[in-house]
Amino acid sequence: MASFREPPSLLLLLAVFSLALLSVSADSDSQRVSELLALQSRSKSGVIHLDDRSVSRFLTSVKTPRPYWLVVFFDATQLHDKTELHLKTLHSEFALLANSFITNNQDPESPSHGKLFFCDLEFKESQSSFGLFGVNALPHIRLIAPHQNPKESHQMDQGDFSRLAESMSEFIESKTKFVFGPIHRPPMLSSKQLIVIFLAISIWIPFAIKKIVIGETLLHDPKIWLVGSVFVYFFSVSGAMHNIIRKMPMFLADRNDPNRLIFFYQGSGMQLGAEGFAVGSLYTIVGLLLAFMTHVLVKVRNVNVQRVVMIVALFISFWAVKKVVYLDNWKTGYGIHGFWPSSWK
Amino acid sequence: MAASETSKETILRYAFGNVLSFFILVLIGVLAFSIRLFSVIKYESVIHEFDPYFNYRVTQYLTKNGIYDFWNWFDDRTWYPLGRVIGGTVYPGLTLTAGTIWWLLSSLNIPLSVETVCVFTAPIFSAFASWATYLLTKEVKGAGAGLMAAALLAMVPSYISRSVAGSYDNEAVAIFALIFTFYLYIKTLNTGSLFYATLNAIAYFYMVCSWGGYTFIINLIPMHVLLCIVTVMTSEHFASFLVFIIIHVVALVYYIKGILSPKMFKVAVTFVVSIGVVVCGAVLAVLIALVASSPTKGWSGRSLSLLDPTYASKYIPIIASVSEHQPPTWPSYFMDINVLAFLVPAGIIACFSPLSDASSFVILYIVTSVYFSGVMVRLMLVLAPAACIMSGIALSAAFDVFTRSIKFQLPGATENSERDAGETSSNSVVAQNDVAKTEKNEDAVKERPSKKNRKKEKEKENVEKPSVKSQIKKKLLILPLEASIIAIFLLVLLGAFYVVHCVWAAAEAYSAPSIVLTSHSQDGLHVFDDFREAYAWLSHNTEVDDKVASWWDYGYQTTAMANRTVIVDNNTWNNTHIATVGTAMSSPEKAAWEIFNSLDVKYVLVVFGGLVGYPSDDINKFLWMVRIGGGVFPHIKEPDYLRDGQYRIDSQATPTMLNCLMYKLSYYRFVETDGKAFDRVRRTEIGKKYFKLTHFEEVFTTHHWMVRIYKLKPPKNRIRGRAKKSKSKASSTTGTKRIGTKKKNPWH
Repeated sequence: MASFREPPSLLLLLAVFSLALLSVSADSDSQRVSELLALQSRSKSGVIHLDDRSVSRFLTSVKTPRPYWLVVFFDATQLHDKTELHLKTLHSEFALLANSFITNNQDPESPSHGKLFFCDLEFKESQSSFGLFGVNALPHIRLIAPHQNPKESHQMDQGDFSRLAESMSEFIESKTKFVFGPIHRPPMLSSKQLIVIFLAISIWIPFAIKKIVIGETLLHDPKIWLVGSVFVYFFSVSGAMHNIIRKMPMFLADRNDPNRLIFFYQGSGMQLGAEGFAVGSLYTIVGLLLAFMTHVLVKVRNVNVQRVVMIVALFISFWAVKKVVYLDNWKTGYGIHGFWPSSWK
Repeated sequence: MAASETSKETILRYAFGNVLSFFILVLIGVLAFSIRLFSVIKYESVIHEFDPYFNYRVTQYLTKNGIYDFWNWFDDRTWYPLGRVIGGTVYPGLTLTAGTIWWLLSSLNIPLSVETVCVFTAPIFSAFASWATYLLTKEVKGAGAGLMAAALLAMVPSYISRSVAGSYDNEAVAIFALIFTFYLYIKTLNTGSLFYATLNAIAYFYMVCSWGGYTFIINLIPMHVLLCIVTVMTSEHFASFLVFIIIHVVALVYYIKGILSPKMFKVAVTFVVSIGVVVCGAVLAVLIALVASSPTKGWSGRSLSLLDPTYASKYIPIIASVSEHQPPTWPSYFMDINVLAFLVPAGIIACFSPLSDASSFVILYIVTSVYFSGVMVRLMLVLAPAACIMSGIALSAAFDVFTRSIKFQLPGATENSERDAGETSSNSVVAQNDVAKTEKNEDAVKERPSKKNRKKEKEKENVEKPSVKSQIKKKLLILPLEASIIAIFLLVLLGAFYVVHCVWAAAEAYSAPSIVLTSHSQDGLHVFDDFREAYAWLSHNTEVDDKVASWWDYGYQTTAMANRTVIVDNNTWNNTHIATVGTAMSSPEKAAWEIFNSLDVKYVLVVFGGLVGYPSDDINKFLWMVRIGGGVFPHIKEPDYLRDGQYRIDSQATPTMLNCLMYKLSYYRFVETDGKAFDRVRRTEIGKKYFKLTHFEEVFTTHHWMVRIYKLKPPKNRIRGRAKKSKSKASSTTGTKRIGTKKKNPWH
């Protein structure tokens, strides 16, 4: 999580807000709702972009209970490149949520129409609003009930956006009692793309059948199969499945020194991506070299070439085995030892 | 005359090679058996872990009541009040095998107890499995590779982990059955003999009887057949079969045409064709409807999680909860197949040059099994034989090349050096290689008279020709002498490392029975025999028909050792029932009492490791109780038990956690042990130290507090006003938060 330093001018800004609050309080509630609806329809994703001014207009300056709920996503463009925060994904999920809610409740008669608005705030533009909500770490999503002031509103826990839009909607449903309806995710392929793919396949099929019948496909080449099976082997022994299932990153940043990267994780229950592939290739290279010596190198006529290649191959293999043994002892902490006769000691 | 002399000499050498390989195989069998005895030597001759206790109990029943009663056995001691049909839901292979061994021994007047037979079944079958590996690998790449693979399999740690003495589980016999089925399949492929095909079917049947892993074979063999057809390896056979079928169909049609009038024939054809189309369509429609109607499209959860590895972790907590269903990391491979991981790629390449039916089968075997092992660590067991076969082939090919290079380049080597080297060398590796050649030729000689079929003759020639050719060629294919010596030295070193690792793994890592635990400290060896203490207490101090509730892990042990009825056990067939127990364990005391009382439970057993630092206790399994319980009964919500996404039992724990039954039963009176209530597993002081139980009473706690047994207090039969008073008192001790959200008993 990223942390912010609260701006020093916070108090001053708050004072300005309270002045503004007095001046605009005359506006009626229905005016605000229609304004929000207009803003919402103007935004492509259905998420209303707020800044300090509009926060005061729709939130702080409105007398409670307000006629609507607000869900605020706190964003910071400067942190978009920090992948571990997942700000971009969460923001797009948030937009999806907003879109689904709007399409599910388009009918002005429905009880949820115009009662819940999705907004986002950008840190650089609206630092004081961040302070107002007491937000000092991202990602952060807040749900403000009609009677609440910013500080006491509900905050979404880590667990509530872990399953993205689905869990966010559950959270909002449980707090607001609005019916959310299904989340409309855009399909992976548009219908036009599907038609093109279908056409391409139907054109390709007769050619493929012809080739298969003649026996000329790549599949008839044992070398492809050889490469394929060695790759599957490499893929499996490197624990790539573990990385996929557990969604392991390739490497971690050191907690004490952010510039240093950790590639190897100590402890046998977990591994990092790069670590798995490194050891997987060590596992594979020894076998490949051995096979190279026994099946290819024997056919080479030049004895000196054979000698040099063999020495190099043996050296690499020895080093690879030694490295894996060392890494394994380091990672698991097992002390593998032999059982010698007691008289030898 | 010189020729006859040499032929005599070669026959002698072949005979010598056969005898030698026989003795090597005997030694491999002894090795496979004896490396698995560490558990008996270090602990005692006792059945291990959880599932073996069930198998043991079933075997006891079988030997006592006979096979028919076993087949019809309805067990009312488990899954109360549902019970379980044992005969129909169990894989009978292991039980019948051990039962047969026991019966055989006792009919020979060798008085062994059923337990002894059960304990030693797995090591005996490991020896069989290594011999089966020899046969299989011999079919693929000759006897040298076979011996090497058998020796590797005899001590591969992955297999040892499931087959040490006392580990009386299905895998013990199933791995043998698996390898043997594969051997017979390849033998059938190579010979085309009906005899082996029949044996193959029988072995296949035995495998299906023994282990759920038979689905692997059921898919692998058809896949290989399909591969053979597609890649046109045996296309001649395929075409001939097709022609055979077509000829018969045509003949039948002509025959019918002959006996019917032309008009009738036309009617008959339309009739048959239309009926055929309708039936095919109907079957197809039913199939599609069946597949489409099931939410998982006809796949079971476990197989789905093999194809889509992320499936189980998302949707099925009961599969994801088992530690052996987790995906392995790279050290698991080094632990379980050790240096074989380095050799397998070489084996794959050796199998590709040249590609035959048999070698394509083992390639398919290794590729599928290595992929599956990457998804679930338990399938490492299926990978292990494949890795041994591949490594055996790789090592044999490597030794073949390197020893040949040394043999031909040794100072003073002549044209006939091959023979000399073979006889004088004490190097067993060289001997093995000779054996390989020997057996090949011997087979050819033996089979000659029996071959009447011309096709077979041709095949035999195919086998012989390349071997003659390759012998000529081999003389040219050599590597430099000194490099070969280094290579052999390094390979032997690698093998020695493998042996050290395997012996260490067998002795230290895989021999703990987990029913008796030991720990070494400064003041010597400590033995924790709490489990048997608790089960013995149950069997001596409770009524025969009392019901004992515990988490499902301890179900089999309770029925087998304490002979008491349990609510759930390790055969996790009914998720709702397990969720009920999980819900009870995660509910506050009163709600839990109601659930247990509705199930007629008298005693609740919890396993607690906090005092001695035993990490796999119920508090560590608690998250699964909550998750599985919450999956069925939604009022159990995991976030209620979590603080910052973690299960905590210290002062930061949530009130729900501190009030749930599992916490209370585990930590009741715990503070009296050291005054601070320091939990050694979680390494923290517990959150709530002083509390009283209202609906349960402690009846027994074992010596090291590892098992604690509580009795449900009888329901109060006093008047209402009195009950209310005690209830309000109870709620004041358990905190006020719960009162508002009174939970319903999910069992009603």
